[in-house]
Amino acid sequence: MIGWSSLVPRSLGGRTALVLLIGLTIVQVSGLAIHALDRIGLQRIAQSRDVGVMLMSVYRAVVLTPPPQREAVVRELDLANGMRASLHTGPPVGDLLPTPQPLRRQIVVSTGLVVVPQGQRPREILMFGDVNVGRLVVGMRLPDGEWLQLAVPLEAPRIWHSRTFLVAFVLMTLAAAVLTIWAVRRLTAPVRTLALAAERLGRDVNAPPLPEDGPLEVSTAAAAFNTMAARIRRFVQDRTFMLTAIGHDLRTPITRLKLRAEFVDDEELRRKIVNDLDELEAMVSATLAFGRDVTTDEPVTSVDLTELVRTVLDEACDMRPDLAEHIGYDGPDHMPIRARSVALKRAVTNLVMNALAYGNSAFAIIRPAVDGMVTLLVEDNGPGLPLSEVDRLFQPFQRIEMSRNKETGGMGLGLPIARNIFRAHGGDVTLGNRPNGGARATVTLPV
Amino acid sequence: MLAAMENTTLQPAAAPHVLVVDDDREIRDLLARFFERHGLRVTAVRDAREARRALPNAHFQLVVLDLMMPGETGLDFARWLRGPASGHDGIGIVMLTAMGEETDRIIGLELGADDYVPKPFNPRELLARIRAVLRRAGDQGGRPHEAATQLWRFNGWTLDPTRRRLLNPDKVEVPLTGGEYDLLVALVERANRVLTRDMLLDLLRGRQAGPFDRAIDVAVSRLRRKLEDDGRHAQLIKTVRGGGYVLAAEVERL
Repeated sequence: MIGWSSLVPRSLGGRTALVLLIGLTIVQVSGLAIHALDRIGLQRIAQSRDVGVMLMSVYRAVVLTPPPQREAVVRELDLANGMRASLHTGPPVGDLLPTPQPLRRQIVVSTGLVVVPQGQRPREILMFGDVNVGRLVVGMRLPDGEWLQLAVPLEAPRIWHSRTFLVAFVLMTLAAAVLTIWAVRRLTAPVRTLALAAERLGRDVNAPPLPEDGPLEVSTAAAAFNTMAARIRRFVQDRTFMLTAIGHDLRTPITRLKLRAEFVDDEELRRKIVNDLDELEAMVSATLAFGRDVTTDEPVTSVDLTELVRTVLDEACDMRPDLAEHIGYDGPDHMPIRARSVALKRAVTNLVMNALAYGNSAFAIIRPAVDGMVTLLVEDNGPGLPLSEVDRLFQPFQRIEMSRNKETGGMGLGLPIARNIFRAHGGDVTLGNRPNGGARATVTLPV
Repeated sequence: MLAAMENTTLQPAAAPHVLVVDDDREIRDLLARFFERHGLRVTAVRDAREARRALPNAHFQLVVLDLMMPGETGLDFARWLRGPASGHDGIGIVMLTAMGEETDRIIGLELGADDYVPKPFNPRELLARIRAVLRRAGDQGGRPHEAATQLWRFNGWTLDPTRRRLLNPDKVEVPLTGGEYDLLVALVERANRVLTRDMLLDLLRGRQAGPFDRAIDVAVSRLRRKLEDDGRHAQLIKTVRGGGYVLAAEVERL
């Protein structure tokens, strides 16, 4: 049972092809069987007729000869290959079983084809042996009581006559199989196209629509898919417009407040106001970054991932010079990938900032590409993550409970934004812990 | 309305004169007060139409232009300003863009804006950017926007000021921090000229926080690493005895 399911192909095309091929095999095998049975029957008839005629011809030659010369005639007979004839006073004896009725009857009937003078037909015919043993022993009693005994080789009937038949049969079967697989692939291609389009839509909401042609069912499905994609696109656009509008509306008052703060004479108070405004601005910009469709803004170009990561780490050092000792990179010196560098940098920055905030350290490690995917690890020496909360952390506005304070706080958008960006690149990010403590974010990106 | 428009105040004639174009009255007034407090002469107007009217009345060195305005947008006005019809095509332009709107920024820089500051901006950073543009204008004889829409190429490296990108000889982007980018632009614009640490400090102020002296040296060493310029025997960004740096390369303008 275990091995069975793994033998069944998983794809629709594979399964359809399998069913059709099994059907084709059944048809071919039964066709061949019918043909073979028919052919065997025909061969049997021809064979029994030959045997009957031969037996009777020999008998005729012997019966027409006066008894004293019969021994000599039997010896002189020019018999077909493998046949032996002899005269005896009694019926044949031996270890062979009597011949089965159908064969015996056919042979006996065939003996009637040879013309023999009136009253000279055999008084009795005894028959032993079969196709299985490959020979027949026949005893025919002459009118005067003598027994003519004949041994006849019997060839087993063959399913096919020539070797070319077998070759042709195999070729025909193969051609039919190839044709079946081709047709199935062709017919199920639209399903694959649909799956690919759905996959593409998941990554890029502005992916081009599907062609609405082909068979009726396929074009209907494509049209329905395109309608769905258009609705999703409109929804995303509405959301983006809304967020952009909010962002824009908040920008003006924040700008005004920042300017007003410049006229506050108390330097300490001014600094605090500016800090609050910076925090507010960071929240607005994080919300905007989360709402914005990462794929529309920026073209994909060739970027050195190593330098991007190092730049992010450098900026982290600038921001937290006290932690510079605990910020580092390990990996190849260059790692060119195809990416949107501004978006990708934002995503990596979010991971590094999280590591600094929760682990007071940030180590980035790049592992060379395997199967076209580069791995980037961002690790820290902090307390690590409660594994039960890992899934929740990718939800917007969710944070680890212990971080709900001003020191490490944020909007809870860093990870969702980072994941959106990595996924838009065809990669992903997961969270976990290092074996010896500390949190680890694992990013995969296509080269 | 007229009061808002004719906001020009008396300052020593040497003080640079800045035209602020923003449709938000509060921001306009606050900017004017802030700039005046820091030694600039300011005229503040609310849209492109009023800006056109104000331009002939004074000798402006720079326009601070909001991109999102009702009526004629900041982009259209910048395009007109840079065109030969305006008669002010040498004027400096600093744009106030929507936060993170990459497209706006790129179009703005392609149109020949000298710098951009995303809203909500830090007023002190805006001031530093304005001063940098004015200083560059002084360096280059009143044509500060000359650098717009072009590429610099040196030793196989390409620097694209419109998209603020550095491409290595294999055309792979090498990401730079804002400070590194500004430093590299400063070096490339003045290739084969020695820039003292003080000059670089001036150019980078407003961008970096923290102790500037060290920031320059750190940024230079990071730039060298990114440009694959061996720190000890640097060939591209050379250290000059007495405290300065020079970009030793033929810079090709494309």
